[in-house]
Amino acid sequence: MKLYFLALGTVVVVCVGCAMDGHQTPQQSSGLGGPNLGGLSHYGGNKGEYHAPPPAMMMRPGPMVDGPGPGVLAMMNGGGPGAGGMPRTFAPTNTQITFKGPDGMHIGWEIPNGYAENQLVAPARYNFMQGATYRLKLSGIPGREGVVLYPTLQVYPSHPNTDAYLSHNAVPMEMSQEDLDQIESNNFVTKVIYLPDAAFQELAIANVETLVSTRLDPGVDPIQEADKRGTIMAVMRVGNMDREMPGQPGGKPLAWGQGGDVDQVAYQVDGDRGDLVPPMPIGPAGNGGGPGIPNAMMMAGSGAPGVPIAGGNMEAWGMPITGTPIGLAGPPHLPLGGPAGLKSHTVRNRTRMDLPKPVDHMLIDVDHQPGLSLPEPVRYIQYSEKHPVYQPGELSNPAWNTPQGQGQYCPPGQGQ
Amino acid sequence: MTRVSLILWLSLITALTLPSRYVAAQQYPSVDGRQFPLNQMTPPGTAAEWATKLGRTTPDYFQPVRVSLPATGVVTFFEGSPDRAYDLPAPAQASLLVGRMYRLRVSNLPEFPGVDFFPSIELIDRLHPPAGKADDYPIEFELTLEELEWAANGRLVTKVVYLEQPNRVPVTILDAKERIKTIEPSHNVIAEADQLGRPVAIVRMGGRTPDPVRPEPAFFGPGGPIRITQKSVGTAAHTRRASTDNIESNQAGVVSLGPKTMRRVAQR
Repeated sequence: MKLYFLALGTVVVVCVGCAMDGHQTPQQSSGLGGPNLGGLSHYGGNKGEYHAPPPAMMMRPGPMVDGPGPGVLAMMNGGGPGAGGMPRTFAPTNTQITFKGPDGMHIGWEIPNGYAENQLVAPARYNFMQGATYRLKLSGIPGREGVVLYPTLQVYPSHPNTDAYLSHNAVPMEMSQEDLDQIESNNFVTKVIYLPDAAFQELAIANVETLVSTRLDPGVDPIQEADKRGTIMAVMRVGNMDREMPGQPGGKPLAWGQGGDVDQVAYQVDGDRGDLVPPMPIGPAGNGGGPGIPNAMMMAGSGAPGVPIAGGNMEAWGMPITGTPIGLAGPPHLPLGGPAGLKSHTVRNRTRMDLPKPVDHMLIDVDHQPGLSLPEPVRYIQYSEKHPVYQPGELSNPAWNTPQGQGQYCPPGQGQ
Repeated sequence: MTRVSLILWLSLITALTLPSRYVAAQQYPSVDGRQFPLNQMTPPGTAAEWATKLGRTTPDYFQPVRVSLPATGVVTFFEGSPDRAYDLPAPAQASLLVGRMYRLRVSNLPEFPGVDFFPSIELIDRLHPPAGKADDYPIEFELTLEELEWAANGRLVTKVVYLEQPNRVPVTILDAKERIKTIEPSHNVIAEADQLGRPVAIVRMGGRTPDPVRPEPAFFGPGGPIRITQKSVGTAAHTRRASTDNIESNQAGVVSLGPKTMRRVAQR
């Protein structure tokens, strides 16, 4: 009997557990009401409903019609817009970052030969080219005298999911007092700003969400977490490292003055004097698509598929690269200067190896939940129109236009 | 014992065969079980491009569009470049091509001094007014105070203007203002509009502004030709006209996407 109830409980738990995952709405109504609008009410997850692929997947027309393959496509045209599928005519190439605070904070950034100081004063906004990483310099933070921070700002390339947002909105970036406390306590702060997917949109307060590493459990990667919930637009990493210590490699250049004192050399770009210099990218960001960001490339090498030229960009035909099969140089021909007398040279590799065989047939099972299902294409259309015929002086009066407001349909010739 | 084993087997089979109903995070729930490849997060311009491929565009037909504001202000229509702009006082009316996407600028708002908004409008279908009366039947929508506040706070507001299907709307008086239905951000606003009628335009508005230092022509999008008729200017100077023969404009509705939906849905 106990086993019977155990089995019954198992059935109930399994059924309920599979039917609800927290995202479904029990019943959604169009809210229009009315006695004849029952067809507008619908349920969140009817069996047999159709699901369109997400925009990123619709960028591609599909397998077997998308050209030679993603690796080659990426090198031919960047693998993004113009490859087929959806157009991205409004895709921005730069991301507008809004530095929301703290108010009065000075923002500079790294440029060739140093830093451009005081380029912006928060709150302010700036357009950063996408697909690049920048080194910022935050100074003059109110209430934090003497604190200068050098965060990196990764601006991710635009994605089909984020095109609409980035072309109409600025990405908010704010250094909160909690973040500054963490940084001054020698903690490393990573802030990830992402656009939540549809399932997580209701949780977003301002359309976008910010994940801060210090608010997550230890060991949780904020980037991976944000990537699960949506599409990343920007990442800022901040620590308390001073990158301009005088005399240090990469720091401010120095020169000895006549009196033995230390003078700084090189011209200092300062926004307060009207010097405005765009930031210099110090590296890539994101997964391809932006300028200078390598896309998925073939194993043969980087860039466009080139033509190997024997003796040019590779060894001459037949010329071994190494002297022996295990990479060691072979024995010299002794005696030196005499004719080659070596008849045999044998190297036996006695290394015990347990290497698996190479894969000859690869199988990858892909399972989207929910699956992608499209309606059957139209096979047959029957089109018929019924045209009412009126006599002179007759008028067809719809139900909603009757003098009483609501009423029955009044055919021509039967009006009051 | 045999019966218990049978029940255990049945429970196992049930667990394996029950349909899994996890909703993929990037996908929007379908409406009426129908397939809607477009949603508010689809790259802007896609719906217009598809409208062109579907043959909804007519090369020589300019669809009038009227933009209303809460009070006064200036609406600027860009022909794809900041150098080719038309400033019109609100309510502003201009004729645009279907299948194109235009950037607008809304400025001189008394409620937002010094703040400019740069919405975009994507025309995906046209109206069919009586011959010679196209300017009397524009696609009209209003950027409400609430929506402007959302945009100023950095939110992305997506409005879908649709032509109502008479048997799918409640009976109302003809001279009512257009109805604005706000839905949850996790739902497909285009699909909801399609449920209620025929979507004709998608309006997006946020808080992004063009770079004042460096020219940013791409910000103004591909755009397209704009036609400003004398009649449009004349009607734009007047307030909304409500008359019984203005059927198409009065039947226009708007589905917008905003943050207060949760509360509204909860109140229902």
